[in-house]
Amino acid sequence: MKLTRRSFLKKSGLAAGALGLSLQTFDFEDWSARAQEAEVEKFPTQCNTCGTQCGAWAYVKNGRVWKVEGHEEHARSLGKLCARSHGGLRWVYDPDRIKQPLKRVGEKEFEPISWEQALTEIADKLDDILTEYGPGYVAYGHYPRATGNFYSERLMYALGVSTLCTHATSCNAARNTGFLYSMGGVPDADLSNTRYALMIGRNHGGGIRTDQMKKMSEALAGDAKIVCVDPRQNNIARIADDWVPIKPGTDLAMVLAISNVIIEEELYDKEFVEEHAVGFEQFADRVERVRPEWAEQVTDIPADKIKEMARELGENRPRSLVHPSWGGAFGALYANSEETARAVACLNALLGNINEEGGLIFHPTPELGSLDEDQYPAPEEPDTRRADGVGVRDEYPLAGSFGLPHYLMEKAQEGEFKSMFIRHHNPVRNFPDYEHMAEGFRSLDLSVVFEINMTETAMLADYVLPECSFMEREELIEASGGPHASISMRTQVIPKVYEETKSFDEIIVELAEKLDVGEYFNFTLDDVNRARLEPYDITLEEFKEIGSMMVDMEAPLGEKELNTRSGDFEFYSEIYDHVGRPGVVGWQPPAIGVNLEEDEFRFATGKEGFHSHTATANIPSLAQITKDYDSNRLWINTSVAEERGIEDGDRVKLKSPVTTEEVRVKVTEQIHPETVFMPSGYGNKTPFYETAEEIDTVNPNDLVPYQTSNIAGHSMRQETTVKIEKV
Amino acid sequence: MRENKEDNQSRRNFLKKTAAAGLTALTAGTALSGDKLLAESNDTAKKAILMDNSLCVECQACRVACQNEHEIDVEYSFIKFLSREKGEYPDVEYRLRRDSCMHCPDAPCISACPVDALYEGEGQFTTIDAEECIACGRCLEVCPFEVPEIGEDRMYKCDACQHLLAEDKEPACVNTCISYALQFGDFEDMLEAGRERVDQLKESYPEANLYASYDFGLLLILTDTPSELNLV
Repeated sequence: MKLTRRSFLKKSGLAAGALGLSLQTFDFEDWSARAQEAEVEKFPTQCNTCGTQCGAWAYVKNGRVWKVEGHEEHARSLGKLCARSHGGLRWVYDPDRIKQPLKRVGEKEFEPISWEQALTEIADKLDDILTEYGPGYVAYGHYPRATGNFYSERLMYALGVSTLCTHATSCNAARNTGFLYSMGGVPDADLSNTRYALMIGRNHGGGIRTDQMKKMSEALAGDAKIVCVDPRQNNIARIADDWVPIKPGTDLAMVLAISNVIIEEELYDKEFVEEHAVGFEQFADRVERVRPEWAEQVTDIPADKIKEMARELGENRPRSLVHPSWGGAFGALYANSEETARAVACLNALLGNINEEGGLIFHPTPELGSLDEDQYPAPEEPDTRRADGVGVRDEYPLAGSFGLPHYLMEKAQEGEFKSMFIRHHNPVRNFPDYEHMAEGFRSLDLSVVFEINMTETAMLADYVLPECSFMEREELIEASGGPHASISMRTQVIPKVYEETKSFDEIIVELAEKLDVGEYFNFTLDDVNRARLEPYDITLEEFKEIGSMMVDMEAPLGEKELNTRSGDFEFYSEIYDHVGRPGVVGWQPPAIGVNLEEDEFRFATGKEGFHSHTATANIPSLAQITKDYDSNRLWINTSVAEERGIEDGDRVKLKSPVTTEEVRVKVTEQIHPETVFMPSGYGNKTPFYETAEEIDTVNPNDLVPYQTSNIAGHSMRQETTVKIEKV
Repeated sequence: MRENKEDNQSRRNFLKKTAAAGLTALTAGTALSGDKLLAESNDTAKKAILMDNSLCVECQACRVACQNEHEIDVEYSFIKFLSREKGEYPDVEYRLRRDSCMHCPDAPCISACPVDALYEGEGQFTTIDAEECIACGRCLEVCPFEVPEIGEDRMYKCDACQHLLAEDKEPACVNTCISYALQFGDFEDMLEAGRERVDQLKESYPEANLYASYDFGLLLILTDTPSELNLV
């Protein structure tokens, strides 16, 4: 049953206000009238609505944040901001923000407590767990950015905890892993200078990164040919040169077949392959049988189209590329996603486009200084066993330090994992299989969430520690690489809105004291930032005035030495072979298979450009876009809908192996007939998101069972089939 | 997705009238009824926003930046999009355009406003004095593009960010556009840039055109005929 806010408050037996709910309403008209006359000040900051954290200028009028503009000297924003950023500043004034530390006192009941009580109890309980079970039973998870990385790592390492996790296994872990073990990392796509780009699932207009969108616009406005492979006509496919629909989960077959044509027709870069790669012959043998005609049967892409893409990639090399993507197509979606990523890397290698203009470039990241080790000793990285099986031979030997939060929740249910700290991250909602994640969280002896809103994960925590919002805190300087590089920081734009909130660094320093590891935090945030600025000819005070500055970095054009084990491009990976995974990439079907039963559909999801996961559905200006464009619907192909008597706007039952949900449909020609698509930004289950309730619908993660891939350990977010029934 | 509106009679009449008046560039602004601002508007050079709809990804950054800039309720949006899909899977094409105030020359809304709340402002953009507006809806009745949104005590529409133009800045939508589909500048320069882009687009979009026959302050680069995008 869905928990409403009213019933939540009633059940919890708390008066309104006990959770810090503000009963004072803000008089907008009065404020607006006064604001007309007020002086406007602007302060540099970084957006916090998605992970990109674009540099921004925040404008303050009458003590309130009025608007944001892109920071022109930031590598990611380049002076532009997306809708999420403009909407995201409303978080600051969300009346349902958490305003005081909360302690769980019943299944759905919280009690506001003091910081002293919260931190003392958390420290005592954590101490007990570390003593009884050891640091291998504790983990920390977050969306990794500068301040969080620095403070969490220092605290966890000081306690001997090695399991630090990110969101990556629900995002791009497969892509990262496939590229790491072939190309040595994920390069930047030089769309601005390319002649031909093949986009597989990557939708720059939905999963927006502002600087990447600029490059895409340059490509679209210029002479480049942009071809988009995607089961639905995504925002870029609509304006690109070509849309090539594909059966979801079969991209690997297409990539291998393109490679087959390029090798057979000798369109590849022989010099690169001979001098800078290992295992090419094995790869060539492997793809020899992957004919375009076979791939047509698997992917639904005509063999001639596959040949055309191969020839155009080959003829335009090295100024051609297959985009390394992000979450789309092979980020973390299917059982074969790591192998799809590796095949994409191999195809780029055939084009010889690594560190070539118009190809893929490993841009360096600007240098930052660090604290003096003698004065401010840092804890050693502990060699304790990771709780999530990362690097463990019979668990997830190839998974990276991004960690496996969904696997930890399995271990928690089995009693093999005891405590999790989560910050600025909502794994319960944003990983597949809500009940799996929620049950894991409930099974923990100690769960602590640092947040500003009552997310689904916060709703299940034993303690919720309220942070001040991104406009109310200063943070550590970070460096961003790419064709434009910058160093940047958040400055404090406005005073704290709620007195009892604290910034993450404040909380960690106080918690460290309670845990008797305070000696690792004998510095201020300013001390760290001064150290980070050391390579640059600017004082911290001056830097706080500008917040962000571009740094000239030379692109490593022509550099062929890669960050792999061999230093060359690896068509054959000795490491994969060593841990019992295929040394050379080959065809592997998705877990749902290639051929469906009658009445089954493949399921796809993706972002809308105005929502960031489920975090923004509660922002009124962004929720209103959903309403105005009626966008929170399931896409279904027109002819398929007609066959079933389904009309645009109808409600249907959407059945997956784990749930049945009702959803409204959007009937469209812009989707593969065997596929249905659901935007990812909805389906909040927290009673504190009142606005989001107005646009509530199914979340893709509700449909997909808990699964873990055996290479990167990612969560296979699209590995399900669904059935549809008219209501 | 918003449904395309039906062509309406008032638009046809308006366009016929303007065409008959033989309007050319830089002759707009003669029919102002907001006399208190007449002198000011005559001094200001004609500017334009140029929108390249072939690059737009409908991310809605412009819409929300605009709402913040103008501090309006989220239920009103000065910038909307009209779209349609053409053809059948897999040969389907998507067409869209920005749907917002076109800043007509000799704007009928200005003449129709009974309380002189509309006038030609900085850059010769049709501007509203929200405090004077009585939300009577006369502007909507005469608008060829059905743009004005009538609220409880005022009408809502784009004014090309008059307060920013006064500071020599560009409108908020142009400033934030992540797909670089928007430009702002002198009318003649935008007209030229628009024509050049259309020439370039003809190769991929044979019907590409610049919707600029009437010296609008919003110039639209379209990838399809105006009628396909509910314009005449």
